Amino acid sequence: MKRLSLHPLTWWIFSAAIAIAVSRVNSTWFALVAVGAMAIIVFSQKDSAPWSKSFGWSLKLAMWVIAIRAVVGVVIGVPIPGTVIFHIPILKLPHWMPGIRIGGDVTRERLFSSISEGIIICAIFVIFAAAASLTSPHRLLRVLPVYMYEFGVTVVIATSVLPQLVSAVSRIRMAARLRGQQTSGVRAFKRIAIPLLEESLARCLDLAAAMDSRGYGVSKKRSRYRPIQWKFIDSAVIAMGLLVLGLA
Amino acid sequence: MIKFSNVSLVYPNSTTTVIEDLTLEIAEGELVLVIGPTGSGKSSLLRLINGLVPHHTGGILAGDISVDGVSTSSVKPGALAHVIGIVGQNPANGFVADTVEEELVFGMEALNLSNDVMRKRVEETLDLLSLVPLRNRALTSLSGGEQQRVAIASALVAHPKVLVLDEPTSALDPIAAEEVLSILHRLVHDLSLTVVIAEHKLERVIQFADRIVQINGSGNASVGTPEEILMYSTIVPPIVELARAIGLEEIGVSVREMRRMTQNLRDSFDIEVKETTRHSNDVIVDIADLTIAYQGKKALNTLTVKIYDNEIVAIMGRNGAGKSSLLRAIAGVSENSSGYVKIHGVDSQTLQRKIRRQTVGYIPQEPSDLLYGQSVQKECDQADSDNDIQPGTTFEILQKLIPGISEHVHPRDLSEGQRLGLALSVVLSSNPQLLVLDEPTRGLDYQAKRVLTKILIDFARVFNRSVVIATHDVELVAELASRTIFIADGDIVADGPTVDVLLSSPAFAPQVSKIMAPQPWLTVADVVAAIESQK
Repeated sequence: MKRLSLHPLTWWIFSAAIAIAVSRVNSTWFALVAVGAMAIIVFSQKDSAPWSKSFGWSLKLAMWVIAIRAVVGVVIGVPIPGTVIFHIPILKLPHWMPGIRIGGDVTRERLFSSISEGIIICAIFVIFAAAASLTSPHRLLRVLPVYMYEFGVTVVIATSVLPQLVSAVSRIRMAARLRGQQTSGVRAFKRIAIPLLEESLARCLDLAAAMDSRGYGVSKKRSRYRPIQWKFIDSAVIAMGLLVLGLA
Repeated sequence: MIKFSNVSLVYPNSTTTVIEDLTLEIAEGELVLVIGPTGSGKSSLLRLINGLVPHHTGGILAGDISVDGVSTSSVKPGALAHVIGIVGQNPANGFVADTVEEELVFGMEALNLSNDVMRKRVEETLDLLSLVPLRNRALTSLSGGEQQRVAIASALVAHPKVLVLDEPTSALDPIAAEEVLSILHRLVHDLSLTVVIAEHKLERVIQFADRIVQINGSGNASVGTPEEILMYSTIVPPIVELARAIGLEEIGVSVREMRRMTQNLRDSFDIEVKETTRHSNDVIVDIADLTIAYQGKKALNTLTVKIYDNEIVAIMGRNGAGKSSLLRAIAGVSENSSGYVKIHGVDSQTLQRKIRRQTVGYIPQEPSDLLYGQSVQKECDQADSDNDIQPGTTFEILQKLIPGISEHVHPRDLSEGQRLGLALSVVLSSNPQLLVLDEPTRGLDYQAKRVLTKILIDFARVFNRSVVIATHDVELVAELASRTIFIADGDIVADGPTVDVLLSSPAFAPQVSKIMAPQPWLTVADVVAAIESQK
C-alpha cells in the first residue's frame, strides 16, 4: 500500500478515538482486534525512520506488562471462585496488614481476568505507540502552538535522542564484546546502562542548547515555511476513527 | 563586534578558573582561532559568546561580554539567535528536524520571519554551501562532511553577524575539511562575517586565521597574530615545528610562505630516493574477498589484503569510505556478507572472551564505550581480574602512558586524551597480538598525539606486534605508519609504504612534505635527519 502523506495530528486523533473505544467496550477481543488493525496500518505505512520502531518496542513492552500483571494478579489479589488450577500456600501476614492476601487458590477465572485486564490496558498504549510510529515527531512539533514550548523541547529531545540511544546501545554492546565480556545478564546490563545514561544525558543537554541558541521559543509567534495542509484524506481517516468510537 | 571586558569564569564545584580576566575585542570580519590543550576551556570561551555559558551550564561569570552591543548577561541565548550562529562539536547532536530543508528553516520559523524571506534565504544558503542536491535528504543519511555543512548552513540562514564553530573539522577527512574552511574563508571575505573557531588540527586552519586566542588552562589567555602567538607557543602545527627545527628566524603559516623561506635549503640537497623498508613475511591478519553490505549498500567490496607482523598500517579514505567497517571486520564484530578475516589463522568472528582479548585489542571511535567503571581505579581493577594478572598492573601501564592520573577520578571527568589513555591501558593489559584503533586522534591536542604516537611505535617495534589504525589525520599517519592503505567506496585504491601513498595525493600530503617537495620527507624528523646526514 502506498504511504499516505497525512497531517501529523491525524493519526494521533484517530488513535485517541480507537483507544477511547477500546476502554469503553472493555472487551479483550475488541482490544486484540484494535491492536491487530493498528499493526496492519503501521506495517503498511511505516518507513525507515527511527521512530517507526516504537510500535515494535511497545508490543514487546506490552508482553512484559501482561506477564508481570498476570503473575502479580494471581499471587496478590482478590480471590475469584471457580475452577482451581493449583494452590499456593497462603503467606501469613502480620495483623496490621488486614485485607491483603498473598497466595491461596489460583483459579482459572482469576488468571483470565488479570490477563484480560492487562491486555486492555496494554492495547491502549500500543495504539498510541502506533500513532507515534506513524508520525514524524518533528512535523508534529511544527503544528503545535508555541506556548507548548516545554512540551516541544521534550518531544524533540525524546524523539531525537531515543533513536540515537538505540544505536548507542549496539555500539556499547559491541565494545563490551570486544573487551571479551558478556553482553547479556544483569552485570552486563549495568555495564551498558552506565555509559548509556551518561551519554544520553550529555546528548540531551547538547540538543537543548542547540535549540535554545537557535531562538526556539523566543518569539511568541512562529512562522511556517511550508504550512502543513489539512486534506480530505485526513478528515476521512478521522471520520473512520470516530465511526468506530460511535459504534462502540 | 564581540567584546570581552575583564571576563572571568568559574564553574560550580570547581576550584580552578577557566578564564581569568580576559579582555578581548573581535572586530567585524575577523576570523579568530581559539587554541589550547584539551580541557583548557576553549568550548567554554565559545559558548560564552552567545551566553550558553553560564545560562545553560551554570557557573559564575565576572566582567561583561557584549555582542553587537548587546550584553549577554542581560538576555537569554535565544534572544541572540539572529546575531550569533553557533555550531557545536558534533553537529548531528544538535539537529532538530528530519530533512535538510526543515533543519534550515527551524531557526527562522522560531524567529517568526515571513515566508517569502525564508524562501529566499533557504535558496541562497543552499547555493552558498552547495547543498542543493541534498535539500530533501534525511539528515541521518548524510556523511560527516555533509552534516557539518548543513549545520553551518542552518546557522548562516538566519543571517547572523557572528559564526562560532567548535572543532568544525575534527570529524572530517582532509578534503571535506578543506571544503568547509574555504567556505568560511569566503564568507569572511565576501560578507564580512565574524568567525570564531576552536580547533586542534592547527595545520588545517592556521592559514585562514587573522588572530589567535591561546588559552593555557590555568585561566590565562594571550591574544595576537598567528606569527606572534606561534613564535613562542607550545601548541604548534608541523609547519612551525619545521621552521624552529631548521632554525628560521621567522615563521610562516602557509605552505607558500614556508617554501619561499626554505628555497635555499631545498636547493642544497639532491633529490633523495627513499628505500622502502621490507616488512616481515609472517602474516598476522589475512583478509580475503571480504564484502560487507548495509541495507543493500556495499560498505566493502571483495577486499583482499594481508597485514604482517610488526607493521603499523594506516587506513585512510574519505568519510564513509568503509574504514570503520574494515576495522570492525578485523575485530570480528561485523556481519560479513562474504569472505573472511583470519588472525593467526583463526576466524576473527569466532574469537571469544579471553582468547579474543589476547588476540585483538580494539579501541572504538568513542573510547568511553569501553569504560563503565565508576573510577579509574575500578576500571583498572576490572581489567586486572579479567586477565588474571597481578593487581595493579593495568594502573601501572596507565601511569606509564599518562603519568599523574588520579585513581579516584571518574572516567567521564578525564580529558579526551586521558580517556583514550585509560581505554588503551585496559586493552593493553591483556597483551593483544594486534591493536586496532578507530580515529584515535579526534579531539586530541598535539601533546596527547605525541604520547599516543610513541606508545604505538613502542608497541609495534619493542613488542613486535601489529597496529591497524583508521584516521583522517595525515600528520599522524606521517609520523606513525609504515604502510598506508587507501580506501574509496569499499575498494582499496592504494596500498603501499606511507611515503609513496601520501606523496602521490596532494590532498592527503602532510604539511612538511608539501613544503619540502619534491623531497620524500614527511615529518620534521625526516628533514632534521637529512640535514644531519648532510653534515
